[in-house]
Amino acid sequence: MIDDTAGDGDDTAPSDDPVDRLLASARDESIEDDVHVTGVMMQYYEVCTRELWFDSRDIEIDRDNAAVARGTRVDDEAYSEKRRHVSIDGTIAIDVLDDGRVMEVKPSSALVDPAKLQLLYYLWYLKHVTGVDRDGVLAHPRERRREDVELTPENEEWVEDAIRGVVDVIERDSPPAPTEKPFCESCAYYDFCWSC
Amino acid sequence: MNDNFHVFSDGRIERTDDTIRLVREDGEKQYLPIERAEAIYLHGQVDYNTRLVSFLNEQGIAMHVFGWNDYYAGSIMPKRGQTSGQTVVAQVRAYDDPDHRLTIAKRFVDGSIHNMRANVSYYHNRDHDFTTALDTLDDRQAAIDDATDVNELMGVEAGARRAYYATFDDILPDDFAFRGRTYNPPDNETNSLISYANSLVYANTVSAIRATALDPTVSYLHEPGERRYSLSLDIADIFKPILADRVIFRLLNRRQLSTDDFESDLNGCLLTDDGRETFTRALEETLDQTVHHPTLDRNVSYQYLLRLEAYKLKKHLLTGEEYVPLRRWW
Repeated sequence: MIDDTAGDGDDTAPSDDPVDRLLASARDESIEDDVHVTGVMMQYYEVCTRELWFDSRDIEIDRDNAAVARGTRVDDEAYSEKRRHVSIDGTIAIDVLDDGRVMEVKPSSALVDPAKLQLLYYLWYLKHVTGVDRDGVLAHPRERRREDVELTPENEEWVEDAIRGVVDVIERDSPPAPTEKPFCESCAYYDFCWSC
Repeated sequence: MNDNFHVFSDGRIERTDDTIRLVREDGEKQYLPIERAEAIYLHGQVDYNTRLVSFLNEQGIAMHVFGWNDYYAGSIMPKRGQTSGQTVVAQVRAYDDPDHRLTIAKRFVDGSIHNMRANVSYYHNRDHDFTTALDTLDDRQAAIDDATDVNELMGVEAGARRAYYATFDDILPDDFAFRGRTYNPPDNETNSLISYANSLVYANTVSAIRATALDPTVSYLHEPGERRYSLSLDIADIFKPILADRVIFRLLNRRQLSTDDFESDLNGCLLTDDGRETFTRALEETLDQTVHHPTLDRNVSYQYLLRLEAYKLKKHLLTGEEYVPLRRWW
């Protein structure tokens, strides 16, 4: 009888922790993970987990949403000469400034935490997957404001908890129930959620 | 994005630069503000070419064609802005599961009977005695739950509709005798009006479904493929009492349509061009009317209620959250 369950260091059974799974599959392409956590998912997780679930199922709502159009336009136009779009592993797409910092552009500072979490996830991913340490800049071009963002230990913990949270939400069979939030009315899913 | 344009005259419809114009047979030109268009309805004999079809496709505008006798002939549907394999898979799965299909079909019938009842109840509370009809409608509504398959459910719906139509002769003026529903061709003015009104509601529902990624051919109450867009038949049934029938009652009782607006021949009875325009205008006005929506907490047009109904069904299919049909609340 061979008993290899003892902790002899050779145990390669995949961990159940979504963070470990994410890192394992990102570092080694032979390891499959069904769940690909994107930066936008991190943002949705902080904004609205129901929206995150919808997004994970490609449930798009078929309305010309003013906020969505504005965000895309701001992202296309702002600082276009100073930043380069870089895609890594087909999982995260980031904008890198001339000085090497990672930049995330948002149309307004109304939802700061979600944007910050998205940016922190990029920094976390760069550090743990590719071994590159970078700082970040959160930019609100319309308000002519920038904020420096760093991957502190607390922020790392925030990112890793959020990854687990994202995976928990998108693995559910049905979406979290709608809850009324101050920004619901500007959401593209508003009519979808509330037209009972 | 929710205006319908109706073309009653004969002529040609064409793309010119970045808009669409109608050239009537007498040479008169009319431009359609396409940026606000949801759909174009062709009632006359109209020529168009592939350049127009490509343009409609780019702009996401549907074109519904009404043929001889103004029966719905078909639609030129833009390729969908929205495609979602997941939505179609969920739609088909629900159809393929007899229990799930029946559950959804029951909701359609529930909404439909409720809205028929709302019309009857309105006249009952004014100057008619429709106690019998109301009892029958309540009885049919209660029978929905007991239906064990879609056929039986269809029977329940048919029973309710018979009781509902039986009230029409009392509601409508004497010169618009109805005496029950006839089709293909309709044999009197009221039947002809109902056919035309229903086909407009149906076409509007097709447009509403098109705005979602739902496949309009996969249906639950009606059998898929029975007619081309059978999901539109399912959803339109909920709205016919609210849209078609109420406009008919109003126009006939206020004498805005008279028997002169119809012509009869051996092949039945049809609306004249004038009658058709009068009815279509009244229906469009109704589609633009708004009601306060209790959960969205804002005013929405009747036309947008069609869109919301499609959203609600899509939401049910993709999330498992309950689908509750529109039951007139105002």
